[in-house]
Parts: sequence; structure tokens; C-alpha cells
Amino acid sequence: MNSVSLNNLSRRNFLVSSGVLVVGSYAYTSGFNPVYANGTRTLSPSVYVAIGTDGVVTVTCHRSEMGQGIKTAVAQVVCDELEADWEKVVVAQAEGDAKYGDQNTDGSRSIKNFFMPLRNAGAAAREMLVQAAADSWGVDASECEAREHTVHHAASSRRAAFGELADAASKLAVPESPTLKSRENWNHIGKSRIHVDAQDVATGKAAYGADVTLPNMAIAVMVHAPVLGSSPLNVKVPDSAKANSRFIGIETIDATPGPIGFNPVGSVAVIAEDTFTGIKVAEELEINWSDSPNQDFDSDTFQQDLREAVEAPGNVWHEVGDANNMLEGAEEKIEAVYETPFLSHAPMEPPSAVANVVGDAVEVLAPVQDPQTTRNTIVGAKNFALENVKVTPTLLGGAFGRKSKPDFVLEAVELSRRLKRPIRVQWQRENDLQYDYFHAPSVQRYEATLGENGMPTAWRQRTAFPSIMSTVAAPNMVEPANWELDMGFTNTPYRCENQSIEAAGLKAGVRIGWLRSVCNIFHAFGANVFIDELAEQAGMDPIDYRLAMWDGMDVIQGALPSEPGHEFKIERLRNVLRKVRENSDWDQKIADGHALGVAVHHSFLSYVATVLEVDRSDPNYKVTNAHVVLDCGTYVNSDTCIAQMEGAVVFGLSAAQRAKLTFKDGTIQENNFDGYLIARMPDAPSISVELIDSDHLPAGVGEPGVPPVAPALSNAIFKAGGGRRRSLPLI
Amino acid sequence: MSITVNVNGVEHQLDVDENTPLLWVLRDHLDLNGTKFGCGRGLCGACTVQIDGTPTRSCLTTVAAVSGRHVSTIESLVDQQPDLIEAWVDENVSQCGYCQSGQLMSAAALLATNAAPTDEDINVAMAGNICRCGTYSRIRKAIRRTAEARQ
Repeated sequence: MNSVSLNNLSRRNFLVSSGVLVVGSYAYTSGFNPVYANGTRTLSPSVYVAIGTDGVVTVTCHRSEMGQGIKTAVAQVVCDELEADWEKVVVAQAEGDAKYGDQNTDGSRSIKNFFMPLRNAGAAAREMLVQAAADSWGVDASECEAREHTVHHAASSRRAAFGELADAASKLAVPESPTLKSRENWNHIGKSRIHVDAQDVATGKAAYGADVTLPNMAIAVMVHAPVLGSSPLNVKVPDSAKANSRFIGIETIDATPGPIGFNPVGSVAVIAEDTFTGIKVAEELEINWSDSPNQDFDSDTFQQDLREAVEAPGNVWHEVGDANNMLEGAEEKIEAVYETPFLSHAPMEPPSAVANVVGDAVEVLAPVQDPQTTRNTIVGAKNFALENVKVTPTLLGGAFGRKSKPDFVLEAVELSRRLKRPIRVQWQRENDLQYDYFHAPSVQRYEATLGENGMPTAWRQRTAFPSIMSTVAAPNMVEPANWELDMGFTNTPYRCENQSIEAAGLKAGVRIGWLRSVCNIFHAFGANVFIDELAEQAGMDPIDYRLAMWDGMDVIQGALPSEPGHEFKIERLRNVLRKVRENSDWDQKIADGHALGVAVHHSFLSYVATVLEVDRSDPNYKVTNAHVVLDCGTYVNSDTCIAQMEGAVVFGLSAAQRAKLTFKDGTIQENNFDGYLIARMPDAPSISVELIDSDHLPAGVGEPGVPPVAPALSNAIFKAGGGRRRSLPLI
Repeated sequence: MSITVNVNGVEHQLDVDENTPLLWVLRDHLDLNGTKFGCGRGLCGACTVQIDGTPTRSCLTTVAAVSGRHVSTIESLVDQQPDLIEAWVDENVSQCGYCQSGQLMSAAALLATNAAPTDEDINVAMAGNICRCGTYSRIRKAIRRTAEARQ
């Protein structure tokens, strides 16, 4: 078998050859983000860009590429400040190393956090090239200008290509505060660019986790315990397997005691020379599993527990006025309960990882969202020295939060350590759906009284769901965390002078994790459908109703302080809502009896309004059109932003229409795509997207398009005469 | 046992279990990694190849069943329908890209038999290929763009 080249050009490759200019600086932009905190924040300088004497610019992308187009966007930012020729830029994937700063590709913040460091890296390189040219010509640098991969001296009509200048420039000091280009001179930032991997993808050459092959590598097909917490007690290997020369053996892994975290679960690994041999033997094994406290876990019972939780007062996160007494004494109030089920990431690429342990060192090639956390987790679990652990991300065949959790990588490391040869772990879809870190199910209860003008006079909202913290931090951390609630609940834009906001948590018998948009999915659902119900009760258009509620409001404060420059501004929320009203021809279509639904949500510091139109004659209410307006502040690749909104509509429709996971006796009941129903081509509507031109700071793009989709669909179905549907999935 | 398969115009003599799915023969024995594993049960389309021009889920097709027939994979598409690949790139279709080999092989089979597919034709031909990133609207555009350019 051939090995795969990952085009992983490291800094060392450049430093060993002389005459290469290498610059880069990293400064962490502070911000409170506890879920992702992993000790990787650092002020160490690092390298994002290198220019060779051949003029080739290598931009090192330290974030993982999972379809969000980050490799392309990072290169655009550097290329712009550098005044480089796009055709001469290549993008390399960085391995996990704190010198790059945070590499946790999660939370829609690659551009938000690294826009300035990347601009500075490009600008510093440009200034050094200009200085090198000026020195060689004996002129002042201020008389020279970089453009199109060349430094020009207009007065003497002299010019020098970047490649010619790289050697001299590499000997200069790196400017600490290079002058950045002004916005009106940007020629790559904000423009549309085809993704750098597009051609490789379309010709089958793009390399994902399972495409990595090392010499003498064996395959490990995993058989995981049917219930979280169980370990294999004994395993019977059939005689047919023993006679198969391509079958190597089995290895058992016990469930890790203590907090679940990113630790491997109980399993039997079938080691074979090829994948199919492993799959075949895996099907024939007879395994006895140990008992587990989770073996009675039942999702229907759990949902009922969540329902009961919102009937009683929860932890109070926000209280003004006298909502409780007003609601208890009200003659008439509006009350609704909203429910959402367990969901799975189900990236098209099931987890797969290659590890090669040699002596006291290990190298990993795997589709991971955070190579530093992966590295640190290996160090913590397997007692390697940090400098002896190398982790390089491959391309990720979808991730959506799943591949932040390196449990499958730890399996590969452990098996390679035992077998003393490279191992590629391969999960099947059934493993992926049983052992996801699931999107939490939720129940929310909303109650309100309305005044004579139709506006709320008292308001109580309660949410109940299992916290991610109970899985990734400690089993006793069952209460929803502030950052989970600030995903659309404690930072709700729907305010009332008598208001109580309450939350409760319950521990589930399966792993809970973050899925694209996280708690915003269920909180945006409850809030936007409830507002639609209030508007209906008040006899008002749901857009007008929101605008009336927001009259005179300025900034929304959640449970956590806002990041500087990223305050939640009602004006920006109002703006995307007004734009989507225009773009969808809302007023005319509503007047003409079309079935349209609207939702608007602020998440990951961005603002998204979505209108969906459904076919009212279709019993399944097919979505025919979607209109999305995104305000993500300053954006880098306009086409990527549009693509992310398009994808978010489809991703949101999967959750809204049919996706639902259930557990009986601790075991998943929908273990492949015949049970877990994902949106397909016939489900996909025509989608139009408007990007707001903005000079605000860059904010999130990958996630914020998802939350408005499910409530917009519910509201559209109501308009279509399908009744008020308060429980996902809707169809 | 020894089985002969023709993949992308090349005859291969293989010593594998005749029940081995074509998917794993391509990936593990022929180093043709463009064809992807997604579900193992013919439900997602990531492993789609063409057998005598018909789009087929290679995870459910045994190597014995394709003996004597012509298998084409994504690696050969650039020779068969380069304009389709160009349209895919120009429309910036792919996000994570993992499903796109299968999407392209289904789309190529559609265009080979239907020069002007309607929206409904596209729905039917592509319904077996899941894209979790949700690139469907661009896949539709790339198919139409290719069909229109060929007119």
C-alpha cells in the first residue's frame, strides 16, 4: 500500500533551507469561553506564513478543515496583507502545537480570534520584503510599495519579486506592529474564493482519516459495548476467524472508570490485515459484557423526567418584577411546552484514526478538531512526554463537534502501543451512532400574560436538559452551565418587566456533547415558536410583534459578560429581520396566503434571520424556499459564508423534519441512516442568502445559521394549517 | 481464491474472499481511496461507483459480482467527464468533501443517460447520496450547469 502525503510542511522544513523568510506572531484575544478551555492559550510566537526563494508563499493553517473553508479563509487574510499573488499561495496543515495559539476548531471562532494575528503576520512579511528591497536599492522603504507579489520603486521604475527578496528579508528583524492595510484596499478579504481543496475533492484525491496508510499498518475494527460503562468480560472468537490468515487477533479495552471525558469506552478491537476481515470477524464474535449503571437508560423515561423538571421552579438565573405571582393569579395566560430529542452529529466520515507508537513516542494522523487537546489527552491518559506526541489533523470528513472528542484516537494509540505496529482504528456507522457525544434533548416551558396592547406583561421560561459538563467535566455537574444557557436562553432578546428565567439539569445515561450550534438549537426553537404564538394571540404579524417588543431596546446582557466589541445589539438583530422580510417578500406572500415562517437568532456573536416557505398542499410540508440574512460582522470569504448558510438550512432541516434518536436499555435504537433520518436532495429547498456588509469585528459563521431553521419551519407549518407543532422532529 | 476485476480499464488479479465488498477491494487492495465508507448498508451513497455505467453502492456489492464487468471509480471521472468536475469546482460545491466522490459518480451516471435532467430527475437520481454538510443546492447547480454547457 502507498502512504499518503499530507502536504504537512512544517516550520522546520523551511528553516533548514536557507534564504527563507519566516514570520508570524500570535496574540491571544481574550474572551470567556469555559467549555473550550484546555490550557492551550499561550503568548508564544508562532509561524503562519513562509516565503521561499522560489516565491512560493506557504500559509500554515493551524485550524482543522472540516468543510467550513478555513484553509482558504486563513490564506486569504494573509495573502491580502502580504500583497501576494493568490496563485502562488499554498496552504499547509499545522500539527498540534501550542506555538500556534489555540487550535480548538470549534465554537465558530477561527476567524474571530485569528483575524488580527493573521493580518499581522502577512503585514510583517510585507514590510520586511519592502525593507529588503529598499536596502538593496539604497532608497527609503517609504518610497517602495508591495503589490502583486513584487516590490516596486516607482521613482526609479525598479522592481523585485518576493522570491528574490526572501533571503535578504529573512535576515531582518520582524516588525512588532506592522502597518495594516485599510479596509478599502483589501483585495482578498471579503471576496469570493474557491476552496483550496476543491479540485482534490472533486477528483477523489483529498485525504481523510481512513485514507492514511503507514507501512506495516494493521486495521482495528471496533466492537463497542452496547451500554456506556460496560466492559468486555469474555470473548469467544469463532474457529472460522482463527483459520483466516488475515485475522491477527483481538484486544479488549475496559471502560475507563471515573469521569467520562474523552476516554475510550469498553470495547473489543478486531485486529486484521484489512478492513473487511475485521468487519467480518467482528460480526461473529460472542462477547459477554459487564453490567453498567446505564443499562436501564430509556430516552422516553428521560424525556418524561425533563417534562416534570419544568413543572417545578428551577435555578433562577434572571428575575425582575413579580412574574411568578402575576402568572399564578392570571385569569388568562399563554402557556406552551417545547421539546427536542437526542441528536447525533453523524458526520459522513465515521471516526477513524491512525497511530504509530514507536518506543516512548507516538505519531497520530487523524481527523480531529483540536490537535492540541488530542495531544494533551494522549499525554494524560498514556503517560507519554508531550514532546514525544505528534498529532497532525487530516482533512475531516465532517465533524460538527464530534471530532473535538478524541476518544477514537486514544483507542488507536492504545492498540498501537500493545501491538507495536501502526494501527488504523475504523468505526462503523453503528459505532458512531451508539457512541456519539449526543446533542442534549430538552424540554422548555414558557408562560406569559399579555397586556391590552398585546405585549407581554409577565413572562416565565424554564429549560431542562442534561449538561455537557456532566460528560466532559464531572458526573455531578448536572446543572446547565452559564455558557450553555447563554446560548439563547439567559441572553434571550425577549424581555419583560416581570420576568423569571429558570433552568434545571438531569444526568443522562449516555454521553452528551456539543453539536453544531449546541443549546442554541433548542433555545431558539422554544423562543421563536413562543413569540409566534404570542403574536398570533395578539393578532399581530410575528415580525411586527418582535419589532414592537424591541422598541427602545439597545443591548442584551446574558449571564456572562460580553466580549469587548461583541455586545449583543438589538439593532443588528432588527436589521437582519427587516432584511429577510424584504428578501422573502414576506408581507405580500402572507397577504396572498402563502405559508411562511420566520425565526431570528443571535449566536456565536452573529445575527441570522431565516424565512422558510412550505408547500401547504404537501402532507409533509416540503420546504420550497429559504431566505437567510447573516450579519457576521467583517467576513473573509463571501462565498463560504453563503455556503455555510445554505448548509445550515439543510442541517437545520434534518433536525427539524425527521431526525430523532431513542435509547432502550441504554442502547441506541436508530443505528444507521435508515433510522436516523438526514435531509436528502429532495428535501433541499431553493436557498437565497444575503450577507450584511459590516465593519464590525468578525464573528461566527459555521454555526449561527442552524438555530432559526426548526422554529421557522414550525411557524410555517402553523401558517399552512398544520397546527402548532411544539416538539421536534416536526414531520 | 483468485478473482479478476476490471477497474477504470485496468484488469486486476486479486486473491481475496469472493464475498469481500467491492468498496474494501478498492480501498484496501487497490489503493483507490477516493471511494468512501459511510454506512456499510447502502444507505448513504458515499461509496457509489459505476458498474457498466450504473451507479452502484460498492459497500453492498461483492467483488465476485463484478467479475467480468467494468467498474469505474471517482479516480477515472476526470477522464470520462472533466466538465462535470470543472463545474463542481467552479460552483464551489464541496464543504467537507467526504461524500462528494459518491455524489459525482451518481451525477455522472445521471448525465450519461439524461442530457437535460429536470429537478425531479435530479431528486430521484441523487436521493441516495447524503451530504451532511448540506451542499445539495450547489450539487443541483453543478449538474444543471454541466447539462446546459453540453447542449
